[in-house]
Amino acid sequence: MSDFASNLALGFSVAFSWQAMWYCFVGVSLGTFIGVLPGIGALAAIALLLPLTFGMEPAHALIMLAGIYYGSNYGGSTASILLNLPGTPSSAVTCIEGYPMSQQGRAGVALFMTAIASFIGSICGMLIMAIFSPPIAALAFSFSAPEFFSLMVLGMVAASTLASGSPLKGLAMIGLGLILGMVGRDLYSGLLRFSYGVDQLYEGLPLVAVALGIFGLPEVIKNAGQITGRTVEARSISFASMWPTRDDWRRSWGAMFRGTGLGSFFGALPGTGGLLASFMSYATERRVAKDPSRFGKGAIEGIAGPEAANNAAVQTAFIPTLTLGIPGDIVMAIMLGALTIHGIQPGVSVINNHPDLFWGLLVSFLLGNFLLLILNIPLIGLWVRILAIPYWVLYPFIIAFICIGVYSVSNSVVDLYVLMFFGVLGIVMNILRFEPAPLVLGLILGPMLEENLRRSLTLYRGSYTVFLTRPISALFIGIAVLILAWTIYGMFRARARRRAALAAGEE
Amino acid sequence: MKDLLTTTRRQLLSLVGAAAMTAAVSAPALAQTGDYPNRPITFICAFPAGSGADTLVRYFANAIQEATGHTIIVDNKPGAAGTISAEYVARSDPDGYTVYVHSGFSTAVNYSLWNNPAIDPRTDLRGVAGINEQPFFIVVGVDSTIQSIEELNAYLLAEGENATYGTSATSGRLLAAQYLSELGATPTEVPYRTGIEMVPDVVNLAVDFAVTDPVTAMVQAREGRLRVLATGSGSRMDIAPDVPSLTEYGMTVDQVGVWAAWVPAGTPDDVVATLAEMFGTVMQEQETQDFLRTMGGVPWIATPEEVDQRMRENVEQGAFLVDLAQLPRN
Repeated sequence: MSDFASNLALGFSVAFSWQAMWYCFVGVSLGTFIGVLPGIGALAAIALLLPLTFGMEPAHALIMLAGIYYGSNYGGSTASILLNLPGTPSSAVTCIEGYPMSQQGRAGVALFMTAIASFIGSICGMLIMAIFSPPIAALAFSFSAPEFFSLMVLGMVAASTLASGSPLKGLAMIGLGLILGMVGRDLYSGLLRFSYGVDQLYEGLPLVAVALGIFGLPEVIKNAGQITGRTVEARSISFASMWPTRDDWRRSWGAMFRGTGLGSFFGALPGTGGLLASFMSYATERRVAKDPSRFGKGAIEGIAGPEAANNAAVQTAFIPTLTLGIPGDIVMAIMLGALTIHGIQPGVSVINNHPDLFWGLLVSFLLGNFLLLILNIPLIGLWVRILAIPYWVLYPFIIAFICIGVYSVSNSVVDLYVLMFFGVLGIVMNILRFEPAPLVLGLILGPMLEENLRRSLTLYRGSYTVFLTRPISALFIGIAVLILAWTIYGMFRARARRRAALAAGEE
Repeated sequence: MKDLLTTTRRQLLSLVGAAAMTAAVSAPALAQTGDYPNRPITFICAFPAGSGADTLVRYFANAIQEATGHTIIVDNKPGAAGTISAEYVARSDPDGYTVYVHSGFSTAVNYSLWNNPAIDPRTDLRGVAGINEQPFFIVVGVDSTIQSIEELNAYLLAEGENATYGTSATSGRLLAAQYLSELGATPTEVPYRTGIEMVPDVVNLAVDFAVTDPVTAMVQAREGRLRVLATGSGSRMDIAPDVPSLTEYGMTVDQVGVWAAWVPAGTPDDVVATLAEMFGTVMQEQETQDFLRTMGGVPWIATPEEVDQRMRENVEQGAFLVDLAQLPRN
């Protein structure tokens, strides 16, 4: 316990230095700004600012980049509620109840509850990170290749099958991502694979270029074609109009804590994250509600739960990233990249070798979330006004910034070609309704998955049963099998129901 | 407003004219190289900005800038294990304004790892000054029953292919290959991407021993997780005087990573001499020597000829080791 106190004290001393507080403020403000703007996520902002962090202290760099990440989750719901346009993917679910509330003239209440739910989710997620990271990091030294492999398999199965959309398409995208992850030098033989003479692909496909190509460009192009005029009345959101009724509070508390629980779990599992957690939380709230018919018409617990869930997930996503070196999503992968660039090798040692960085980052979450509460309740009018910036002004800038961000990572023109290629692929996938997230996850985890599989087999003399005979590994594989079985059962049940409905219709 | 515009434009034009004049005057002067350097010098770094290696390159850029007053810019050209940056420097104008600060051993080994190497570092690059020498180390987990290199040798000979060892980085693979060939043992190799990724498997004894870079070895040994058994350099290094060299056990192993500065091959002698002097001044400082030791290496003060000589030896050694380790060529 005294260890915990001294760690926290260390964290406070790092996070409450003037510089760290400044970078935290810059991060969360920028994150809110990016989050409010529909069509551009935290990823583009982080990739763009990454080169600017090279000259900073590693802890400050991480504090700022993390601030952008969780700040964007606060801001993301603003556009969802006011315009029915999710500012970030994980706030998509907030549209379902938030926009109807806005139409009923209760936008202020929705925005207020979003900020409170986000805050509670974040703080709980942060506490879970503080409590569970040290034991997981200690356990991590007994993790070997089979455990890493099984955990990644579990993450991938969960991410591709539980998410919205077709589980088969999700698995197909993971598969494509794994294949793309093979590009570059093979660790075992040292030979180049699928690089076709392009030396720049030696270290594999550039992650930032692929992710921005596949997430960023199609999103911008899609929105540019669809959205024409918008009318947001900034004046209509007064502080008085924001205060929820006693009934609102009563409905929301339970939802927030259920959402936080779901979010913390899915955030900590590599591969799944805020998006999945928020959908799960929404589904849960519908199921536990006494009167499910209110849903879709502005039920406040349908905002409070998912918002708490996705913010809790954002915080707990740092657990596998910093204790095991397994990034759960693209933003975490870039964070690990930022650490590597600062000479800090990600892996099981970060929390032990760089306690100032880990605890400083953790305490900065506390500060950042307080700042976000201020930014998102009294100052909400400011962000609402940003929504009035016309797209024809905004989008050329976003595209230009994406290109600059991609180029500046390693000063390579090849990365821009990769951006264009995956931008086109992303548009095609969008039309065919294939989710881009599993593909990027496959690409991130692919090389680690392959290396750990081969390493397990080398270390244990080619025995495939090693994944089942080691208890931690067997646990992960077991959960993955259960999830797959549940998904297949769900698909059959849905088909049977459709048939029954069809048969009933024919009669 | 219009007035302001025209004035600004006229001033600009005159500025451009003045710049052109200066250029015209200084162009012939450049040919004599007497006034080198008369514009900023660029140091090329083969690693991304902010990385450990980048810190080293930037240290020299700043130190030389402070000592001489000349402006030094660092340009990061990462990719393909240094091949992209090495080729960039070799193809630059041989005027002393593009300087490569990098590991010579890895540049030399790269020559043997490609079927069509982009450059021959012996003829396309010219040495300027030495920076430091970095030995790799043979380590075991601190809980391992193996206490010394003799015990490790005996264990490996007894276990044959059942024994396992971890490597990270090409330099580690090459050192392991030569050590094992000298010993005549055939344990199974388990490659890792980075030294730190390998550490848990060494600590929990998933691998019997490992070959790792100096920073990982020193830091983890200090933390009480690893035991350092031997160094792959030809003699004991002063960063770890208690660690024996493999040569003390009758093995012909002498591998050290070596950092130095190079320029394109055609660079004139006096330019190289001026640059060498700049590096030499900084290398003599105690602060530089202390800094180089924190980077896991031993300062290496060397003349341009010595750097060239070392590169020739390294290319030859690299070719031999790549064959020995049976690494395929790309």
